[in-house]
Amino acid sequence: MARSMTLKTRQAITAYLLLIPAIFYFLIYFFYPIALEFWASLFRGQPLIGESSFAGLSNYVEAIGDRRVRQSLVVTLIYAFGATGATVVTGLGLAALLNGPIRGSTFFRAVIFFPYIISYVIIALMWKSILDPYTGILNGALVALGLPPQNWLGDVDTALPTLMGITVWKDAGYAMLIYLAALQSIPTTFYEAASIDGATPMQQFRYLTLPLLMPTTLFVVVISMITHLQELAPAYLITNGGPADATQLFGFFVFKKAFFELNIGYASALSFMMFLLILAITAVQFKLGSREIKY
Amino acid sequence: MSRLTPILSYLLLGLCTLLCVVPFAYMLSLSLQSDAELMSGLPVLIPEKLQFSNYVAIWERAPFGRFILNSLIIAGGITLLHLIFDPLVGYVFAKLEFPGKKILFGAVLSTLMIPFFIRLIPLYIITAEFGWLNTYPGLIMPFAMSAYGIFLMRQFIAPIPSELLDAARIDGCSEMRIYWQIVLPQVRPALATLALLTFVFQWNEFLWPLVVVSTTEMRPITTGLTLFTQETFTQWNLTSAGGVLLFLPSLALFLFTQRYLVRSVMLAGMK
Repeated sequence: MARSMTLKTRQAITAYLLLIPAIFYFLIYFFYPIALEFWASLFRGQPLIGESSFAGLSNYVEAIGDRRVRQSLVVTLIYAFGATGATVVTGLGLAALLNGPIRGSTFFRAVIFFPYIISYVIIALMWKSILDPYTGILNGALVALGLPPQNWLGDVDTALPTLMGITVWKDAGYAMLIYLAALQSIPTTFYEAASIDGATPMQQFRYLTLPLLMPTTLFVVVISMITHLQELAPAYLITNGGPADATQLFGFFVFKKAFFELNIGYASALSFMMFLLILAITAVQFKLGSREIKY
Repeated sequence: MSRLTPILSYLLLGLCTLLCVVPFAYMLSLSLQSDAELMSGLPVLIPEKLQFSNYVAIWERAPFGRFILNSLIIAGGITLLHLIFDPLVGYVFAKLEFPGKKILFGAVLSTLMIPFFIRLIPLYIITAEFGWLNTYPGLIMPFAMSAYGIFLMRQFIAPIPSELLDAARIDGCSEMRIYWQIVLPQVRPALATLALLTFVFQWNEFLWPLVVVSTTEMRPITTGLTLFTQETFTQWNLTSAGGVLLFLPSLALFLFTQRYLVRSVMLAGMK
């Protein structure tokens, strides 16, 4: 007994010793920054790096009344919900196609996944050249077909959908892989039983596959929403937020306020608000998702 | 009907494959076009004469060798730190008993929900406090570990039978030796997964270097290329050549590891 006690104590001591670097790391690079961000949001000007004055919650009040903040928020929500929805549907569709007896499925999987691991810097460059209103191949193809050319990224009506399209192009392969893994873990006996009961392939998909995939869908939706709500690279690299703020993703808006305008206090308040919004949206998804899963 | 479905599947998959390949092929094509072909106003798919001189021209305008070296140091350094710390912390959470374990593990996992741009301003300030602006430690340290990697490693270490570890303990084996000689060799495939995913994603990191780096020589290839594309804005042939340079290492890594990488993502997503 005494021996096992010392073993336990010794194990606890070892555990804490081994965790020291991790504890420091997460405190310094995660928890302290959040506290610092909140503290900075209570000041006007350049808290932490320059001149500032205590302002209480006035940054938050100002943000709520700021028309550009509201517009950016709407743009970001449309972008995040749209891109997430399209990514999930495309990913599931591709996975369903590849789950059948398809020759060369390894090849298709690899090629379709590939855009996901490419830097947004390259993706921006590629798509900007393809969509260029004067020299791009897309408009070239449209003209060749006798259709009017479009200013894809320069038109207020088409810029945001185009940006969403590029994001889905990049991310669909990731969702596809996750769905494929989930599909392959469903026992084939389930489908055999359903066939014996006379269920058509469509019914099997609707009443068997989809419910069994609910946990996977929840995972893909949550990851995708968190990613897209905080994304700023496409706006920064492809459209610079324009035209007329039509693609002003919130992350990019905050980034400009902080690093271009050096309005640190205001930017901190905005990003803290975004943090709370992302937490709330994630919590709602888990709530809805777990209810679905129980059913 | 049933004979049509496979044809339709191949048609759809073929279309998606084209959609994924064409942009890259077009970038390659652009990078080899002459100025005249670009200005012709007609989209060119296959350049008449391959202008390899574009690739020479961009090396004269920007230190791409240095950019690539920086990317290797940064992504490599981060990957190394992940390989040291993530499995170690994962082991502690998977196999050791101590008070406060649940709370600490929960705290680590909760960091997954913290978006990066919310930490951006404070991270800049902390890095400045350390005197690490525009240095390799400043570029590497904020990504030294990840809750994702720790969680992944814990999932792989947990199934190792505890009896095995207990037997070693009774024989007087220290915790570090158990970790080093019993646990680590068993999770080698997971370590490879972790290394690949970490390297690929850090190679692409663009926002943090944009904020921390202030001189051209310290830029990794992502922000190096951004600088370059801003300067040669309308010359699609030159910027595309730069894009191909940044893209080739990713492609090579992908081709050599694609089977493995694709499987890792499927596995990592499942856990």
